[in-house]
Amino acid sequence: MTETVLEIRDLTKKFGQLTATNHIDLDVESGEFRSVIGPNGAGKTTLFNLISGALRPTSGRIEFAGEPIADLPPHERVRRGVSRSFQITNIFSGLTVHENVRLAVQSKHYAGLDRTEALFRDTGSFDTMNDRTDGILRRIGLADRASEMAGTLAYGDQRRLEIGLVLATDPQLVLLDEPTAGMSSEETRETLELVNEVLADQSIMLIEHDIDLIMDVSDRITVLTRGEVLASGTPEEISTNDDVQDAYLGGGRDE
Amino acid sequence: MSTVVNLAEQLINGISLGMVYVLLAAGLSIIFGVMDVINFSHGELFALGAYFALSIVDPLGSGVGFWVALILSPLLVGIVGVGIERFTIRPLYGRNPLYHILLTFGLVLIINDLITLGWGPEQQNLGVPEYLTTPIALGGIEVSVYNYFMIGFTALLAAGIWLFLTKSKYGMIIRAGSEDRQMVRNVGIDIDRYYTLIFGIGAALAAVGGVILGGYQSVSPGMGSSVIVPAFIIVVLGGLGSFRGAVFGGLLVGIVRTLTRTYAGSELFELQGTIVAVPDFEGVTIFLLMIGVLLYKPQGLFGSSEHGGGAESTLLTGVESQVFSDGTRRTLGLAFLVLLALAPLVFLLTGNTYYITLLNQMFIFAIFALSLDVVMGYTGLVPLGHTMFYGVGAYAAALVMIHLTSSFLIALAVAILVCAILAWIVGSLSIRVSGIYFAMITLAFAELLYNMVYKFDFTGGSDGLVGWEPLVGIAGVGIELGSISLPLGLIEITPATAFYYIAFGLALLSLYFATRVMNAPFGSVLASIGETEERTKFLGYDVRKYKRRVFVISGGMAGMAGGLLAVNPSTFIVSPDQTLAWIHSGEVIVMTLVGGMGTLVGPMLGAGFFVGAEDILSSYTEQWRLVIGTVFVLFVLFVPRGLISLPSVIADVYSESRFDNSIATKKDMEESK
Repeated sequence: MTETVLEIRDLTKKFGQLTATNHIDLDVESGEFRSVIGPNGAGKTTLFNLISGALRPTSGRIEFAGEPIADLPPHERVRRGVSRSFQITNIFSGLTVHENVRLAVQSKHYAGLDRTEALFRDTGSFDTMNDRTDGILRRIGLADRASEMAGTLAYGDQRRLEIGLVLATDPQLVLLDEPTAGMSSEETRETLELVNEVLADQSIMLIEHDIDLIMDVSDRITVLTRGEVLASGTPEEISTNDDVQDAYLGGGRDE
Repeated sequence: MSTVVNLAEQLINGISLGMVYVLLAAGLSIIFGVMDVINFSHGELFALGAYFALSIVDPLGSGVGFWVALILSPLLVGIVGVGIERFTIRPLYGRNPLYHILLTFGLVLIINDLITLGWGPEQQNLGVPEYLTTPIALGGIEVSVYNYFMIGFTALLAAGIWLFLTKSKYGMIIRAGSEDRQMVRNVGIDIDRYYTLIFGIGAALAAVGGVILGGYQSVSPGMGSSVIVPAFIIVVLGGLGSFRGAVFGGLLVGIVRTLTRTYAGSELFELQGTIVAVPDFEGVTIFLLMIGVLLYKPQGLFGSSEHGGGAESTLLTGVESQVFSDGTRRTLGLAFLVLLALAPLVFLLTGNTYYITLLNQMFIFAIFALSLDVVMGYTGLVPLGHTMFYGVGAYAAALVMIHLTSSFLIALAVAILVCAILAWIVGSLSIRVSGIYFAMITLAFAELLYNMVYKFDFTGGSDGLVGWEPLVGIAGVGIELGSISLPLGLIEITPATAFYYIAFGLALLSLYFATRVMNAPFGSVLASIGETEERTKFLGYDVRKYKRRVFVISGGMAGMAGGLLAVNPSTFIVSPDQTLAWIHSGEVIVMTLVGGMGTLVGPMLGAGFFVGAEDILSSYTEQWRLVIGTVFVLFVLFVPRGLISLPSVIADVYSESRFDNSIATKKDMEESK
């Protein structure tokens, strides 16, 4: 039996009159690759924001590794092992590629530093951190660009770097919000391969628009519409589900 | 006279003043709502209105002249506003809104000096028709007709603006623009043209306020800077971009100010032989009010939450080492240090001791600018009240030397400690809001302290503190700094020289300290917060904790600079205007930006440049701020990365090479998305 790493019950988020997520139940198992799909405004990003701590739920429960996290600030969730990427590229563009990843690595080590070290010791002299940084740069294929400014990287490489940042925080659960947005189909395939390769041991939740694309890589797929879970299941189950067919073909015109 | 009648009269006075604030705040607020521009020069445009009126009334006489001025002066100021928007503000759209604060601060210096240049520094009276100044009694309440005129006229004007904004086609476009600029452009409307119009209208409204208040009180060059801070408080209180908020806030502040001023110190009742009086709250209440509102409801009482939340585009930091190699830079730096170490000896030999005093001032400001830089340049927080730490440090050190011990070491240590604690308190509260709100709340804290030192006896009120003698030593063992006289060959070490080496040493120590911190894990997190706060948070860092800590470090460092001011043998007095006035918060931002923020050496050089330029310019002209202001505006527009990046800017122009420091590429990338 695999264990449940993320358990969501009855999760609701309201913005004034608008209900962005409506009584969502969802379980993600350890090591699972879960894709979340749905039309625009279905509440996918809101769901991610709730899990990662960018938003607090109106009501409902979120448990990670058996502990409630719904009221924790974002940095606490990262420390416990929930890490995310953003829909719009969000890296430190004025810092070097190496420094980007090193900052993510450092986050994990920071608590272990004594005060003097944290305040005064040169970051270049922490061998463990820098070795780990180099290792991650190699895995995401950016080792030879380590000293370049992150902002000068090509778009695809910036998205890679984002995945590197997520990986460097040593997460158990990874939330990837459209990591392939704005990419050609070739780049998209490469990126998904990278995700599969470097994050093989982690549980993954991925937001993606393209159903065909995720059929191969996902263990399970959750379909959201109007803030509710329309269906959850294996790719085969989803592809033959009538409700999903209706929602996608009907474009959600019915009230 | 009965208290009720008196109260009613004061209420009318309060509303009269409040209506002037409404005009000011309405203009500020519309400009912000549509253009996202925080216009610090609004107070100077207000003053300019009053001065234009002076020149109009002068030849025409107060009878006709006042009415002509009431129409013509706002028109003229409106045209000035149009010019300002087109030539200085327009190039900055798309940059972080904080650049507008910096730019318009430069404009404050320029316009203010132009006013003094044109009309002289003395206070003048604006002629008002006689029938307006006569007292009138209505229901036992006796105030001047002018009060009713002020209230009536501005109320009509405010109603007119409100109708314009809600009913006219232009008003609709302006409001649509404040909702979504791009969308308005997409439907084919040239919104940029409207920006000019809006800025012009805002300037004209300020001028109307200036003319009206000029007739009520008097006209002086300081009138702009005395209204700008309350005007900002009103806008923030009411909600940035909210017209209703401006009206409500303006009246509230006008009434509160007048009432607290009138009733301060009046006896309430007697309790067991002690007289209980209304505490003297003037100038303090509104800042407390603002801080409270910002903490409780950051978007203001009537504001929507869409404005000014965070800084979307990052500040442009200085770029080092593009032209010179590391080795060259190290050699240059070392040569510079040796030069500084030997400078006083040369000055003593040649008899130019004045320059030692000047350099002493530079060191103090260099430390002050460095302290701002770790917060602003690295962490991306722009405090508009940084001078509170400088001022409190100076006061703390002076008080220690007057009352406790004359040891300068203990005085400095206390200054640092007190300011670090103050920074922890102010920081903990201020970092709960971000961007423009953070800037405003720190301004409010600084103004609060500025007004508080006026109130207390132990701070010497407006006179400040005098009479202490720093001791170079500790626990009574040592030598008085002021009586140092040490013959050394051909020269004699003076008190200023002794202080020089203290200040020089501490400036070096501060630089070394800051360099170590910025290269260490803690500093690296600050840099990442400066880049993108959100990403830093989602890497697992408790962003608030880091902000609070850097604020403490910065506050302590600024406190040391202030303490040094008190220790400096050429300082005889520590006064509120010299240390805590908001203009100094602006000046230290100027130094930091001109030098190149986000580099540690840059702001220190900027401080030296500023002090030096002030000294040289002031020997030629009274209007040195005009020149400094112009230089600053040019820097904001063309060299936002500061002096330190000049070599690379020059090299860039020369070689036309396409080495660029990631701005252009970044922009391209954002556009291609």
